[in-house]
Amino acid sequence: MSMRTSRRSVLRAGVGALAVAVTGGCATGGGKKTPAPTVKTGAQAQVGGSITVWSWDVAAKALKRLAPAFEQQHPGVKVNVVDIGYDNAYDKITVGLKSGAGLPDVLQVEGPKMQSYIGTFPSGFYDLSTLAGPLKSQFNAAAWATGTDTAGKVYALPWDIGPCGVFYRIDIFQQAGVDPASIQTWDDYVAAGVQIKAKTGKKLLVMDPTGDSTFPMMLQQEGQGYFVDGKIAVDTPAALKAMGVLKELSDKGLVDFEKGWDALVAATKDGKVATTPTAVWWSGTLTDEMPELKGKFGAIPLPAFTAGGVRTSNNGGSLLNISAQSKNSATAWAFIQFCLANADNQVSMLKNEGIFPAFEPALSDPYITGPQDYYGGQTTFKTFADLAEDIAPVEYTGDYSKAGDLVTDATNSVLQGGKDPKSALDSAAQQIASATGRQIAQ
Amino acid sequence: MATATAAPQRRRSPTEPATKWGVPHFRIVHWAFAGPAAALFVFFFAYPLGASLYQSFTSDDGGVQTWAGLAQYRRMLHDPVFWKSLWNTGLLLVFQVPLMIGLALVLACVLNQSWLRFKGTWRIAFFLPSVTMLVAYAVVFRVLLKTDGGMVNQALGWFGVSPVDWLNNPVWARVALIGTITWRWTGYNAVILLAGLQAIPKEQYEAAAIDGAGAVTTFRKVVIPQLRPVILFCSITSTIGTLQLFDENFVLTKGGPDNATMTPVLYLYKVGFDQMDFSYASAIAWAVVLIIGVLSVIQFRFFGQSDRAASTARSERRRG
Repeated sequence: MSMRTSRRSVLRAGVGALAVAVTGGCATGGGKKTPAPTVKTGAQAQVGGSITVWSWDVAAKALKRLAPAFEQQHPGVKVNVVDIGYDNAYDKITVGLKSGAGLPDVLQVEGPKMQSYIGTFPSGFYDLSTLAGPLKSQFNAAAWATGTDTAGKVYALPWDIGPCGVFYRIDIFQQAGVDPASIQTWDDYVAAGVQIKAKTGKKLLVMDPTGDSTFPMMLQQEGQGYFVDGKIAVDTPAALKAMGVLKELSDKGLVDFEKGWDALVAATKDGKVATTPTAVWWSGTLTDEMPELKGKFGAIPLPAFTAGGVRTSNNGGSLLNISAQSKNSATAWAFIQFCLANADNQVSMLKNEGIFPAFEPALSDPYITGPQDYYGGQTTFKTFADLAEDIAPVEYTGDYSKAGDLVTDATNSVLQGGKDPKSALDSAAQQIASATGRQIAQ
Repeated sequence: MATATAAPQRRRSPTEPATKWGVPHFRIVHWAFAGPAAALFVFFFAYPLGASLYQSFTSDDGGVQTWAGLAQYRRMLHDPVFWKSLWNTGLLLVFQVPLMIGLALVLACVLNQSWLRFKGTWRIAFFLPSVTMLVAYAVVFRVLLKTDGGMVNQALGWFGVSPVDWLNNPVWARVALIGTITWRWTGYNAVILLAGLQAIPKEQYEAAAIDGAGAVTTFRKVVIPQLRPVILFCSITSTIGTLQLFDENFVLTKGGPDNATMTPVLYLYKVGFDQMDFSYASAIAWAVVLIIGVLSVIQFRFFGQSDRAASTARSERRRG
C-alpha cells in the first residue's frame, strides 16, 4: 500500500512485462476519446453477484477482513480480494488499462499514480462524480484532489493519507543532548544532525536514491508539486530551497544512502540513523518490524522552511476506483463506500493494519485521539490527525510519473554526482518539457 | 464413401513428383500443417512487432493515440538519459565483452588440456552460473556487495581495505555490474569455445609441432584462426546480450546511481511502465533493434571476412 513507495525491488514479471513493452502491447487503434462510464443508480442499481478487488500488502489484508461483513449485509454477494503484490501491481494495472482487458472490478491505486492514470487513461475508470460528489466534504481535501481530474470529475474514493512528520529516536537525541522540540525549521534540523553526529556518530536520516520521496515531501510543504497550473515547476525558488537543504544534509555527511525499502527498515532497526522524516504509516512499520524498540520513538511535525511555516506534507495514500471493465459497478461502488466512507471500518483499519484514514469523521475516534502505548503514552496519532488538516493539495497531472523519474535523476545527480542544484533542476525541467510538451513555469 | 464411387484414379508411383497432381489440394494440406505455426507467428510475433513500430510513430495524448511522425525519435536525440544509457552500454561493450571472451578463451584452453583431471566437474562448475535464475543471482550479488557487512567488503577488510560503496557510487556500480555479468557468462562462453577447440583436428597441432612452432605460435597461427567462427558467435551473442541488459542492473542498482548503470532496455521499461509513455518506449525499442542490427552486420563483416580469408588460406595450404 501507500507505505511502499520506495520498494519496487524484485520484479518477477520483469521479462514478461518487457516483452509487452518491446512489442508495444496491442493498443494501436483508437484515436477517439470515449467518455468514462457511469455507475448505474436507482432501480437499475442491483447489488448482487460477485466482484473482484485487486490490492496489496496490508491494504489487501484489511479488505479481506472487511469483506465478510459486507457479504453479510448483502446476502448472495461474493467479494474476492486478490493480493497482487506491490512489486508488479502497477505493471499489471497498466497493461490491463492499455489493452482494455483483464482488470477486476475494483482497483487500489496510490494518489499520484491515480493522477497519472486519469491523465493517460481517462476512460479506463468509472466516473463516480454523482455518487461520490456528495461525500467530498467528509474527506481530507488533499486526498480528495488525488482522485479527481482538473475538471472536478471524480474517479476514485480516497482511502488513506500520509500526513508527514519526523519520527525520532528518543535515546539518541538524549545522548546527543538535542531537544526535539527545539527543531522548528530545516536549519534547526541540520544543526541537530551535526550535533548528533558529533556526539554519537549516528547519521541523521536514510535516503533511497532510487526512489526518493523526501524532495517531493519538502516541495509539497511549500505548497507546490512538480506542476503549477499545468506548467512544469521543478526549478522554482521553492524547489531550489528544498534541494538546497538536501544537499546540505548530504554534504555534511548526515545522510545514509540505502537502496530500497528493506534497507531503509534495516537501517532504522539497527539504529544507524536518529530520525525518519516520513508519513504516519511508517508507524505501522515500526510497531510491526521493531516491537523491541517500544518506547524509544517519538514524533514531531516536520521542520518548517521558515519559522511558523507549514509543518507537514503528504506522502503516499491510496484510493479505490472501479475499472471501466467492471460488469458489476453497482456492487463495486457499494463495497467501496462500505469500506471507506464509514468511520468504524476506517478506524478498524488503522487499528489492525495501520492505515491512516482520509475519512475525517473517523479522526475524532478515541483510538486516534488517545495515548499510544508504543510511543510511551504520547498521543502520536492525534499529532498526525491535526497535521492532516494542514496538508496542501498539490497538482499532480497525468505527467506526474514522467516528472517523478526525471526529478529523482536530478536528486541523484546532486546528492551523489555532486552537481549544482540549480543546473540539475533546470535540466530536469527541460527534460520534462521535451517529454511532455508542457511549458516551464516562470 | 465418396472415393468408392469416384472415377478410377490413376495410381501415382511413389517416385512421381507430387506437384504434377492436384496442386491446389496440396496447397491446402501445406497450409493445414504450416497454418498453426503461421498463425502463431502472425499473432505473437508479426502483429506485435508491427503494432509497436506503428506505436513508435504516435503519441498518447490524454488516452488518445495520435499520429506524431518522427516526434518520438526526435525526442530521443535530445534525451540525455537515453544517450547516457547508450554510453553505458558502450562502456560494457568495450570493457566487459573483450574481458569476458578473453577469460573464456583462457579457461577453455585450460579445460582442453590433456593433463587436467575431473574435466566434467570443472566444465559443469563453470557453466552453472549461466543456468541460475537471473533475478536470483542478482539478488545474491546485491547481498554480497552490500556496503556495510557485505561479504565482499568484509573480505577486503581482512586486507585492510576500507569498505567500497559498490552500488551507490557511479564508478564502483559500473565495476560491480561488469563483475556480475562476467561471473555469469564467462563459463558459458568458455564451454562453447571449448567445443570449438575440440573440433580442431589433432593433425594440425602435430603439423605445427613438426614445423617447429612453439605454444604461442601454435595458439596464434592454429587455434585462433580455427576458432574464429566460434569467437564470432560468442562476441555477437554477448553484444546482443549487453544491448538487451535488464535484469542485472534492474535488481542491483535500478540503473543508478545517477543513471551510471542505466541501459536502453531498462530505460524503455521505465518509460513504458513507470511513466506510461508507450509510444516513446516503442521508439526506444526500435532504436535498440536498429543498433543491434548494425553492430551484428559490422561484426559479421569484420570476423566473417577474415574467416573467409583464413579458410581460403587453409585450402590453399592444403593444395600447396
